[in-house]
Amino acid sequence: MKKRIFVASILGALLLTFGMAGTASAAGASAEECILTEWLEEKGYLGGDHGDGHSGDHADGHDGDHAALHDEELLKDIKKKCKEAPDYIMPELKEVIWGGGAFLVLLGLMMWKGFPAVKRIMNERSEKIASDLDQADQAKADAQAVKTQYEAELADAKSEASRIIDEARQQAESLRSDLQERAESDIAEMRSQAAADLEAARERAMSDLQAEVADIVVGAAERVVEANLDAEAQTRLIENYIDQVGSD
Amino acid sequence: MSEDRITKYAEAVLAVASAEGGGLEVEDELFRFARAVEGSDDLRRTLSDSKIPAARRQQIIEDLIGGQATPATTAVISMIVAAGRGGDIQRIADEVVALGAASRAKAVAEVYSVIELTEDQQARLATSLQSATGKEVEIKVIIDESVMGGLLVQIEDEVIDGTVRTRLKQLREAF
Repeated sequence: MKKRIFVASILGALLLTFGMAGTASAAGASAEECILTEWLEEKGYLGGDHGDGHSGDHADGHDGDHAALHDEELLKDIKKKCKEAPDYIMPELKEVIWGGGAFLVLLGLMMWKGFPAVKRIMNERSEKIASDLDQADQAKADAQAVKTQYEAELADAKSEASRIIDEARQQAESLRSDLQERAESDIAEMRSQAAADLEAARERAMSDLQAEVADIVVGAAERVVEANLDAEAQTRLIENYIDQVGSD
Repeated sequence: MSEDRITKYAEAVLAVASAEGGGLEVEDELFRFARAVEGSDDLRRTLSDSKIPAARRQQIIEDLIGGQATPATTAVISMIVAAGRGGDIQRIADEVVALGAASRAKAVAEVYSVIELTEDQQARLATSLQSATGKEVEIKVIIDESVMGGLLVQIEDEVIDGTVRTRLKQLREAF
């Protein structure tokens, strides 16, 4: 982590340094451009104060020679100046000094304030991430515990459900067996009752028939007896009774 | 009426009969009259109806048995009816017969028959019953058409049934 912060700081400082140096080197893009730019500045076409004294006097002929001479000297100075333009590879010493100083100042500032702040932010970030990871681990552990509990409860529920189903099945089987036994008992009782009723009805019919036959037979016998029980027969019955009682 | 009162009435009847000298005949006539009353609901209601004057009820008795029974029998029956005990005359008659027989050391044999038994038949029947039960008995014949034929004899709690009615009943039960 520290190495990355250090490399980033160096790159930032170099970018700032060469950015500033770039501004200085932009002045010497080419000799022609330098000469042209300096000429235009001297003549005042680019907002400089050098040209105002020269351009107003060009109408006079005498002054025209003098102005031409002046322009020629000015051109020479400009050419000389442009020849002394900064090197594109090796900057001037003062730029190196200023650039190095700025770099050092910036590096110092970064080392003094920037790096600790970045380090503190990174530490806080790391701690936050670690805390988040811990919380995630804790949440994961909690979830795992809940999952384990749910699985245990689910297993218990399945076991309870299985037990209830088995119990219900046993009860249903017992109930079915009881109902079947009761139904068979009822059927047997009904059959027995029906047989008893049938036998009773048969016996009643036989009894009625016997009574009817007896009535017919006895009625006929009574009629025969009554028809034949005259005084002589009554006397004979009485005599038989007396004899039988006496013989017993 | 209580048994004690029935017994007292019976003892009074026997005393009157004994005084008149025809105790056995009075017992027999009273017994027959009682059986006749038992067989007639109208006569029983009339003799036991307290709304009918006693003189009227006595007149009915006189009209019924006045010329057929002994004066002593008619007198004791009139006395019972006039005393308002016409409804109990059967029980009184039974008690009179029982007490009279007991006084003679005999048991009463109630004989149910369709026809009247002759003196000879009654004597032979008494002899047969004595040999069968070991008791000396007095025969009291009761005419009962329902026996159809033959005889039924009841001596105290013992019954000897030789009637046609019972034979037909046994025949009916045999089916």
